[in-house]
Amino acid sequence: MTQSQQGVELRGVTRTYTRGGESVHVFDDVDLEIEGGAFCALMGPSGSGKSTLLNLVGGLDRPDAGDVLVGGESLGSLSEAGLAEWRSENIGFIFQGFNLIPVLTAFENVELPLLLTGLSRAERREHALHALDLVDMGDRAKHRPSQLSGGQEQRVAIARAIASDPGIVLADEPTGDLDFESAQAVLDLLGRLHTELGKTILMVTHDPRAAERAQRVIHLDKGRIGEAVEAGGSGSAHGSSVSADDGEGFRLP
Amino acid sequence: MDHHESWSLSAVIPLKLTWRNLLRHKLRVLLTVGSLTVAFFLLCVLRALVVSLDSGIKEASSERLVVQSAVSLFVSLPESYQGKIDSVPGVEETMKMTWFGGYYQDSANMFGQFSVDPDRLERVYPEIELIEGTWEDFRVSRTACIVGSAIAQKFGWSVGERVPIIGTIFARTDGTAWEFDIAGIYHSKGASIDDTTLFFHWEYLDEALKAGAAGGPSGIGVYTVMIADDFDQVSVGAAIDALFENGPQRVQSTPEAEFNAQFVSMIGNVPFFVTAIGMGVFLAILLATLNTMLMAGREQTRDIGVLKALGFGSSSAFWLLLMQSMILCGVGAGSGILLALSASKPLRGSLGTMFPGFAIHSGIVQTAVLVAIGLALFAGLAPALRARRLTVIEALREEG
Repeated sequence: MTQSQQGVELRGVTRTYTRGGESVHVFDDVDLEIEGGAFCALMGPSGSGKSTLLNLVGGLDRPDAGDVLVGGESLGSLSEAGLAEWRSENIGFIFQGFNLIPVLTAFENVELPLLLTGLSRAERREHALHALDLVDMGDRAKHRPSQLSGGQEQRVAIARAIASDPGIVLADEPTGDLDFESAQAVLDLLGRLHTELGKTILMVTHDPRAAERAQRVIHLDKGRIGEAVEAGGSGSAHGSSVSADDGEGFRLP
Repeated sequence: MDHHESWSLSAVIPLKLTWRNLLRHKLRVLLTVGSLTVAFFLLCVLRALVVSLDSGIKEASSERLVVQSAVSLFVSLPESYQGKIDSVPGVEETMKMTWFGGYYQDSANMFGQFSVDPDRLERVYPEIELIEGTWEDFRVSRTACIVGSAIAQKFGWSVGERVPIIGTIFARTDGTAWEFDIAGIYHSKGASIDDTTLFFHWEYLDEALKAGAAGGPSGIGVYTVMIADDFDQVSVGAAIDALFENGPQRVQSTPEAEFNAQFVSMIGNVPFFVTAIGMGVFLAILLATLNTMLMAGREQTRDIGVLKALGFGSSSAFWLLLMQSMILCGVGAGSGILLALSASKPLRGSLGTMFPGFAIHSGIVQTAVLVAIGLALFAGLAPALRARRLTVIEALREEG
């Protein structure tokens, strides 16, 4: 189950929400291209559209106009059921609040996405344990989330995100709820996913130190996508290019 | 383009998650299952009571009429009427039948006793089948009686035994009990006669009354009339009524089913009250189960969001919730039905004389199963549909 490196492309994407009777333009005719295998950090103030971008790429939200292409496949052509199936094969999610299912053990949480594959029970077990070992949580497989620390929970969440070997990992403030040491461990893991497994990673973060781990940083503000800035990065030089038709570009400090 | 997801029965359902979610609040689930068990036990028992009362009406013979005083059931008819009724065209047989109203040893042991014509009982009530003893033995001895198998089993009676019965309507003047010799034990093949009755000779009663050995109303309680095949109840009944139009005692002839229905209504509209209680119990448990499932649905909102983000479809989310409701109702209803089935025999023993033929029939179990399915759907559909409709973004935004 190895996914080829998948790039992401937004073509003329417009997304508007109605909030309190008023229209909020999150994106207006935005283009963005992220090459397969890139590790990108998305930064910007609250409400700038970071999570919306992640949701659009992950097929959790749809643009009002334009198209989102992942690995060359247009998400707009997929039905809801098709999108769900596509997500199970291509996307791994990591959430700020971990979002492990509290009534399941670490192993069972990691096994969940594998239920959607054609793997046998023994194969699922093998894959789930391997994913847990990758995040150094093999010895906590039988623990419930309530028996784990925040850092451990997030490592299990990462294991769940990569269990079915998706090409893209979308991380929404993965270190937001963690102490410094746990945050560093999680960022190390994301770095390894990028360098060792070749995953395309999009990470929303408010933390400049976390963003430094990324290869590219994309800054968003008021629906505009700023020019990508090359950061320190953790791996090979993959690029991302952006353009915003309605606003001028800016650089991170 | 239509992006709506179609309904799918082949959704992947994480069964372990279904089960664990169900047990997320063990006490709440235990209380709900306990309530369901009690409710379905009551549902089965109350339904069996109504069926028991109705069976005497529904299975009444269309070939029998009951002739009573036009004034009241409690007013006796003259003995001389029997021959006159016998002469009405269409009447095949007429039998005297008087309610005795006695008890065995203790007033709590009240059950049905009737004085009858011993040589006519077998023909008028062909559904009475002797499983021990003989009709001949019953006919030849003045003190002979036959008893239903249920009452014989209850009191441990056997053929040849002499049993004392205390008369309440027909009390013996010396204060002693009436004595009956058991000549046979019967089983009824129909619901119009139950297995809890004692039949004895009308002449035994009449002689005691005439000799002053016992007090009570003389005459006949009712005449049970067997109608010939080519005649119908209504026309024969009308002819009998017309025969005594000018007295000395006017009569009212009613089909057996109608008579049984009137008899049941004398103790109040029991079927209505029992049904009303059953409906009340059901409504209460319906709301309680709905509440449990709505709470469960709310608690699992974030999990639903996670599942959908991982790639589980909306149908998976729908079935995850609906299956919890079905398991909850299935376990509760199953326990209640099993409890009712196991309690059926002891209940029949204690209710037998009042609710003859009381039993948890397969029809009652089927009704309970259908009610359980309806309940599971009613309680589970709202949270299941909500889970199906929720988007990942909405679900993850909601506080868990």
